[in-house]
Amino acid sequence: MLSRLRSFEASRYSIFIILVVVLVAASFLSPNFLSGDNVFNVLRQVAVITILAYGAMTLIIGGMIDLSAGAVMAFAGVASVLIYKSSNSMLLAFLAGIAVGVICNLINAFLVATLHTPAFIVTLGMMLMARGAVLELTQGQNVLQLGDFILIGQGNLGLLPIPVLILLIITAVIWYLMNQTRYGRSVYAVGGNEEAARAAGIAVERVKYQAFLINGALVGIAGVIFMSRVNAGLPNAGIGYELQAITAPIIGGTSFSGGVGTVFGTLAGALIVGVLGNIMNLIGIGSYVQQIVMGLIIVVAVAYDVFSKRGRTKTTILKSAPPVQPPPSAGESPGALENANPKQ
Amino acid sequence: MKNLTRRIAAVSAAAFLALNVAGCSVTTGNPTSDGGGEREQKDEYRVAYIARAQADSFAAWLANEMKAEAANYEDITLEVFDGQADDEIENRLIENAIANKFDAIIIQPNNADAQLPYIQQAVDAGIVTVTTNPRVEGIDGASSVDANPYDQGAIVAQAALEQVPENANVVVLNGPAANFHGTARREAWEKEFFDQRPDVTIVAEDTANWNKDEALTLMEDWSLANPKIDAVISMNDNMASGALEAVKGKSGFDGMLAYGVDGTPEATLLIQEGTMTATSLQDAAELAQLNLKAVHDLLSGAEDNVSVNVGNPLITKDNTQEYIDLYKEAGLIGN
Repeated sequence: MLSRLRSFEASRYSIFIILVVVLVAASFLSPNFLSGDNVFNVLRQVAVITILAYGAMTLIIGGMIDLSAGAVMAFAGVASVLIYKSSNSMLLAFLAGIAVGVICNLINAFLVATLHTPAFIVTLGMMLMARGAVLELTQGQNVLQLGDFILIGQGNLGLLPIPVLILLIITAVIWYLMNQTRYGRSVYAVGGNEEAARAAGIAVERVKYQAFLINGALVGIAGVIFMSRVNAGLPNAGIGYELQAITAPIIGGTSFSGGVGTVFGTLAGALIVGVLGNIMNLIGIGSYVQQIVMGLIIVVAVAYDVFSKRGRTKTTILKSAPPVQPPPSAGESPGALENANPKQ
Repeated sequence: MKNLTRRIAAVSAAAFLALNVAGCSVTTGNPTSDGGGEREQKDEYRVAYIARAQADSFAAWLANEMKAEAANYEDITLEVFDGQADDEIENRLIENAIANKFDAIIIQPNNADAQLPYIQQAVDAGIVTVTTNPRVEGIDGASSVDANPYDQGAIVAQAALEQVPENANVVVLNGPAANFHGTARREAWEKEFFDQRPDVTIVAEDTANWNKDEALTLMEDWSLANPKIDAVISMNDNMASGALEAVKGKSGFDGMLAYGVDGTPEATLLIQEGTMTATSLQDAAELAQLNLKAVHDLLSGAEDNVSVNVGNPLITKDNTQEYIDLYKEAGLIGN
């Protein structure tokens, strides 16, 4: 029975099957779920976390992590709001948010890539620094009266909410970067086996800088959308978002040990979390029970994904192996086999 | 392994015996604390203010007002410490303030029960101790300055009695679980409003942890599941404004009523533009004035014990301009 489950061809798409099951179940549980309003509602709600999740995914694939995402998002968002209020320029405000995200992440990159300090510690420090900075900047007070700044988070282009449009563009860009560029191949290689990547001539430090740079830009954009959506510059925003941002790629099949992960898997992970929250609110399940259900689904989804992939990896190894093969070298972990073709 | 267990048992028994022989008794608190006695008059007093969490916008406002008010007293130097919404940190800060022999400690507890023994230690060490926002009950010798959370909720609930239409559908946004202020405000709504209005139906109720963004997400979903919501009843203004953001421009929600508590700058502006209905003020400036006055009176010997409440005026469209002007003066609302 177990082997049958493992050999099930669709296990490759297990996370998407889980997403479809969740969508079908949700549509039966609430008649409002599949309404056009609610579909856009869910997409609007998951936009910020998904954008953060793409950044987290890039770093995790490269063998790193960012615990500062929530705090830097708040810092970038508030900075953006303050720039908008003083300049009345949406472009400047957007750029300011991205600049704060990028600068904080370049500091992270310098400490991680150049000084070889563990990313966990560096980004933990950055989390405290960024949160302290935004609280000092605002003296702990919400920034109000944002005027037209709210269009980024609350506006629509035709029928499409602007945050959803931004999310779609970012999804396409990140997919292209991870699948069609030298950078994408390099980041998978670095995360799969750093020493092997270095030996293969990949500039590991540069790849790490690039990963943090992308993460910084995404965190900055997420901050701008967040503040615009809530119509305030909230210095205490995003507490715990770093963990939510990590949850989506992990549910979506990104491996914590690096080298494995896909953009659409991350999107599916974010949608599963978003849809579950939405449906439970629609049918009136309280937040305490929601936490239990959410935790359970995360554990079950990841366990099934790991379980089904284990079967697939074994099959892949057996199929690709010649009759007699020497023991694998350091660079040829099962993860590395999967890394050879990261395309989705 | 057996030897190791035997050794541990022997060392433990010896230590226990030694404690008994020496006549030691186990106590809590800093053993160097020197207890109460007659208060020494000084030219300058060092006062510690231990804030619940400076990332919380109300707590940050209160801390800023405390600093501003302390500047009006020539004989008081105020140092502010951040409890970071963490009981362990808050307790440690109280212990540090006792060890550093501050003349007075003002404590804004994160969790009254968790801080109670530490506050008792401060009192036992002879330090002037004031609890505020909320007051901690049951400590002999401690003073307190607070806003009564039941009254804050009740005054808004009583206003809503007349305003909420018959057979209305309402949603309720609560504060964090087991929060003293959140629980008391919700209790006030139950007794002063829901018990009097059995015709009103709560179509959805959940906690949004005082946060605007969490309330926004909840209300986005609730407004889809319940196309007729007549009123939002929120235990603070932040969550009420988040709920209003969710239905902004949405047809069918134009006349929706919204109630909060705190009287934040944002709420006064929303009441002025007609989207929010009413709130009650928890005035950080008044809390700060009364706290510093209490500390000064206690240190100078003018008072032995202080227990006062600030008022909780109702803010509606009729008087919101008055509070907007106050906030503009304090720089919390731009001109």
